[in-house]
Amino acid sequence: MADPIHQFEIHKIFSLGHIGNQEIAFTNSSAYMFGAVALVSVLMIGGSAGRALIPSRFQSVAELSYEFVSGTVRSSIGEEGMKFFPFVFSLFMFILTANLIGIIPYTFTVTSHLIVAVALALMVFLTVFLYGLYKNGLSFFKLFVPHGIPIYILPLVTVIEVISFLSRPVSHSVRLFANMLAGHITLKVFAGFVTSLSALGAIGIFGAVLPLAMTTALTALELLVAFLQAYVFTILTCIYLNDALHPGH
Amino acid sequence: MAVGLRLSSELVAGVVVGTILGWGFDRLLSTSPWGLIVLMLLGFVAGVINVMRSAGVGRTP
Repeated sequence: MADPIHQFEIHKIFSLGHIGNQEIAFTNSSAYMFGAVALVSVLMIGGSAGRALIPSRFQSVAELSYEFVSGTVRSSIGEEGMKFFPFVFSLFMFILTANLIGIIPYTFTVTSHLIVAVALALMVFLTVFLYGLYKNGLSFFKLFVPHGIPIYILPLVTVIEVISFLSRPVSHSVRLFANMLAGHITLKVFAGFVTSLSALGAIGIFGAVLPLAMTTALTALELLVAFLQAYVFTILTCIYLNDALHPGH
Repeated sequence: MAVGLRLSSELVAGVVVGTILGWGFDRLLSTSPWGLIVLMLLGFVAGVINVMRSAGVGRTP
């Protein structure tokens, strides 16, 4: 049977040099990341080049994605959150494109690796933390001290709130990574049943219809999950940025 | 599956962060095993609070 985790292997394409004993290589993962960025750039630059009053199909995709993300940012952070719009929009488009590229057979899914998701989530976390400190000064730490709590359990609640804050990048990244990984493994396992069943002869080919239908259905589900996870990542980024802008309420 | 993964990742994240903090606390101050015990339990509490917040149950601060 086909190996379901073979698709997540990283291959070196060429080497960029060494830091210490560690080789820094340009891998297939890097290539797909560049591919995703290039695709987003082509879509947005090409889509906004025409500036027609009646948009072409290409332009309407670009406008639709702008409207979608700006609506999300405005509704969860408010008007002053629009200064984070470029950041949130880049995150959304990058994750969405990387997820969608991953559904095409024989491609590599960048976001199914924990390290990529962690890097993105840590970027959000550090932005929230550093910007919150810069904007609010020490009153940013009011985020950890909910008001209306009796003084004798306040230390306990503060420690719990700090742990809850620190666990944000963990759950933020694990959610994206686990969804993409689990979905792709399930898809590959069911697709593997089709080939191994049809090797059994005539009865096997009839039997293989069931996993084939399942694979088709799962591909549609994966399309939904790819979009949904990009959206969930974006909306959580907005919620966390909202804490940086307005702590303590 | 998406909802289940979301909630379970919240819970696991709380416990993991609490445990790592407790372990680091013990390493630094050599109070083993008390830091690990206390902070792991607090991490569990934080995980449950995370789950409740992300499920929309209870009051958000």
